[in-house]
Amino acid sequence: MIRRFEIYRIRPDAEPDEVDALETACRRAGQFIPEVMYSRVGWNRSDAPAQVVWEHAFTSPEAYQRYMAHPFHANVLDRYLLNDSPQRVVVDNDLGAGLVGYHCTGPVFELASGIRRIVLLRVDRRASPADVRGLTDRLDHGAAEADELILSVVGANTLGSAWFDAVTQIADPPRWTHLWEQGFSGIDELDAYLAGPSALAAAERQGFDGWMNGVIRRAASLYYEIDGTRP
Amino acid sequence: MPYVVDTIEVEAHLVAPYLDAVEQLGVPLMTDAGAFFVSCATTSADIGEIVDVQIVWAFDDHAQWNVIRKNMVLGPRWYEYSDRVAALRNGGTRRVYYRVGFSPP
Repeated sequence: MIRRFEIYRIRPDAEPDEVDALETACRRAGQFIPEVMYSRVGWNRSDAPAQVVWEHAFTSPEAYQRYMAHPFHANVLDRYLLNDSPQRVVVDNDLGAGLVGYHCTGPVFELASGIRRIVLLRVDRRASPADVRGLTDRLDHGAAEADELILSVVGANTLGSAWFDAVTQIADPPRWTHLWEQGFSGIDELDAYLAGPSALAAAERQGFDGWMNGVIRRAASLYYEIDGTRP
Repeated sequence: MPYVVDTIEVEAHLVAPYLDAVEQLGVPLMTDAGAFFVSCATTSADIGEIVDVQIVWAFDDHAQWNVIRKNMVLGPRWYEYSDRVAALRNGGTRRVYYRVGFSPP
């Protein structure tokens, strides 16, 4: 399975109806492209320089490739997203995470409601495989360390440079090497986690400095209510 | 064969630089990416209305458009072109059209 996020920064002078059109296009994509699964839209509530998150998934690279070549993509999504389109609603975001995603064995990310937080991680590319595996194992089991977490899944950002077919690396390595998906039942639980006593939260508060052999060099995050309304 | 049809609203005094950008940047990069340049036409600049510039690109099918899109995104000229024309237009629309059976080729 392929987990994918598109993270949009809205053009500052975009009219509300233009933003609505983009949001609607994302929400309706799954109606027209059956390969688009687990499709949900959220509005970023963090200070990260992005407003809209479209999360979705595909069962396989072949399903992803059908999505990429689907008429809905060219007719509707491209209209609001491509740089040269006169109806472009977005601008490039400074987060370095316009399109990120990872491969996984099944819908381990599934969260029907609540708050999803995405922690973008830049893992030291020179780190040993054992250190990286230790990190990902620990984050994958994060819910056992912090009571507030109802979901904790991490994956290598394999889609960031393989967005054409979900297989072939066609672009430079992405800024963010890994995505850590966290789930919370609500904002109160997220706040409690961030301020709480778990080792994970403490590491986050310290910018992961030196944590797990110093394997994380940089991090950024955003969060949103799943299928929440625009602020 | 599908067509991407951009209809761009441009102030009359900006039509010339807009068309320059299309001719000098857009056409070469789009054709290099695999699209077929079909036409570029404008409404009259002499009737007191904002000018519409209509640009039409053609492609074989959506699989080919997927490749064209990839080629555009991976090429720095596309970003230069996009920024240039965005600064010169008031707005516009993009639609994809499909030829009907009785239309001439």
